[in-house]
Amino acid sequence: MLTIILQQGINGLVVGSLYVLVALGLTLIYGVLVQINFAHADIVTLGAFVAYFVTHLLSGNYFAGIAFALIVGGALGWLFNTAIFAPLLNRGNELLPLIATIGVSIMLQNAMLLMLGPVPYAFDTPYSNHVIRFGGIFFTVQSLLIIVVSTITIGLLYGFMKFTFLGKALRAVSQDRETAGLMGINPNYIIMLTFIIASALAGMSGAMLGPVLVLTPFAGTAVIVKAFAIVIIGGFGNVEGTIIAGLIVGLIESYTTQFLDPGLIDIIVFALLLLTLAVRPTGLIAERRDENV
Amino acid sequence: MSKRPLRKFLIPAALLSVLFTASTTSVVAADKVIKVGGLLPISGPGSYFGVQDKQGAELAIDQLNKSGVNGYKFEVQYEDSACSPLPATQAAQRLIEQFKPDVVIGEECSDATLAIMPVMAQAKIPLLNAGSSSIKITEPGNSWTFRIMPNEVMQGVDIANNAYKRLNARNAVLLHENTNAGIGNAQVFGDTFIKDGGQVLADIGFGRDVNDFTSIATRVAGLGNVDVIPTYTLEGQGLKITQALTQAGVVKGGGGHAIQLGTIWLPFGFEQKAGKAALGYIRIVQFDPTDKRDIVRNFVQAFQARYNQDPTHLNAHAFDQIMLIADVVRRGATDAQSIRDGLAATKDFSGVTGSVEFDKNNQNIKMDTVHYMETNPDLSWTALKWN
Repeated sequence: MLTIILQQGINGLVVGSLYVLVALGLTLIYGVLVQINFAHADIVTLGAFVAYFVTHLLSGNYFAGIAFALIVGGALGWLFNTAIFAPLLNRGNELLPLIATIGVSIMLQNAMLLMLGPVPYAFDTPYSNHVIRFGGIFFTVQSLLIIVVSTITIGLLYGFMKFTFLGKALRAVSQDRETAGLMGINPNYIIMLTFIIASALAGMSGAMLGPVLVLTPFAGTAVIVKAFAIVIIGGFGNVEGTIIAGLIVGLIESYTTQFLDPGLIDIIVFALLLLTLAVRPTGLIAERRDENV
Repeated sequence: MSKRPLRKFLIPAALLSVLFTASTTSVVAADKVIKVGGLLPISGPGSYFGVQDKQGAELAIDQLNKSGVNGYKFEVQYEDSACSPLPATQAAQRLIEQFKPDVVIGEECSDATLAIMPVMAQAKIPLLNAGSSSIKITEPGNSWTFRIMPNEVMQGVDIANNAYKRLNARNAVLLHENTNAGIGNAQVFGDTFIKDGGQVLADIGFGRDVNDFTSIATRVAGLGNVDVIPTYTLEGQGLKITQALTQAGVVKGGGGHAIQLGTIWLPFGFEQKAGKAALGYIRIVQFDPTDKRDIVRNFVQAFQARYNQDPTHLNAHAFDQIMLIADVVRRGATDAQSIRDGLAATKDFSGVTGSVEFDKNNQNIKMDTVHYMETNPDLSWTALKWN
């Protein structure tokens, strides 16, 4: 039984790491803009497809696939912000950018459906079927890669936010955009940077999720609802809270599957979300904002 | 990794997507016309059904419209029913109001079919189903719905008996999506298997939003000596389950002992996507491409000529649906009511998937539409000829 508990712990951490990667971009955008990006799921899907095609074109070079997905995601974030989001935000209406993200989401989904078709793709990397076994425990090299890439990404993001000027500027804008502007920080530049980082993260998380997901043009929507729940449980806009919540949700999934019933996973996760909202509305770790400092 | 060349896959996928934007097959205006509505999942996780159904239906329509049947030609219009009750109902209402069909084919998913049945009954339009397995579809009182494939009881009892008697299985784990069809199929298998003397070690249901099946595979691995794993899911999740069971060392592809059992839910080509994980997988297909009957060989030839690919069972059953409607028209049907009556009187229709004879609840009673296939190490099939 101990082996099974340990195995499910590993399974939960792998899935949780994937959720964290997806949720980080969401929480970054919310933290800086106090906006929800509904197109995030579709950038995840696009990242998965970019990684799929690049990996195939380069004879199985999955790392190139991840890099391309990151770049394409970031470029799409820049394009989205420059062409749509920033102009709408400058009109001073908070609803318009929100609706725009829904529009971009539908547009991306249908474009991918038209170009790629509805039939699921089998995205196996050279590491998907390479299984490592010891002492009754098993995991694929792909799972190991997910943990490693997630840890490095989280570490880099954390370091960027804590120790670089741009990271500090980003946090300043997220706490009080006007005051940050008075301190010489260009909020528009920071918003653009946030979009690029969040979308690059989405693209990369798509590359990591692609081999796990049922890869269709709707693939991202399967994880985005849980990513939203993670962002709320963790504390809207808080990176540390998002990481903890993502791993908790991953572990809930695996242990619920083992000891209860997989059909109960969503009930338990969303019960936790409701409990968080009722008991601690700011989430596991509250983000300091201008209204509560 | 899949070795399929990128271009070979992308171009047909793009073409098929574009094809769906043109939803009506036109006929010459002066002809008498039988209007066939198609309620097919074109979006969402079951959209591969719609893509392949449409190919089969179009091939049949083209063949029939060359000379017509009893002076009638066939016109078809499709609506996206999305394999889900609400969009299916909306699509059915749209189809009835705008196209006014004489007969409708579809849906593939049981939940969606069950949702559109009352809509069709109220409009008095016969619904000819080929892919939904829920027993509820052909319960007494559903006089406007017909099904040419075996229902979940016919399939489930047959698979369970074969698992116990031919495979000598004694322990089973049931894996299924939490839908009417998923739960129903698993339940029938479980009940029959237990009645035969077998044991169900676990009954594991899951939502369609589950992507990672490693935890489920871990649970199955922890159950000990599992002989068979009947699995009821759509292609995407089916693929992930098979791979996860392989990684957990449960099934033959992963060096284990268990055999996965599947149904017609999975499309052809599943094995190529799953790779060696599919080794030893035994599943029902509704169409045996190795069948030597002329009707099958002609269908395969015509399909290859038109689409430059081999037909699947989904292509085949959609082809049969249209051909059965044509057979009823050949017997004198001209409108919705007479098509319904003609379908009910069907006794000896022979199609590419097998034969059709409806019972008093409009369920096809012929079992020769059930073909068992086993996946070989080179991912080809051996037809098991169990029926």
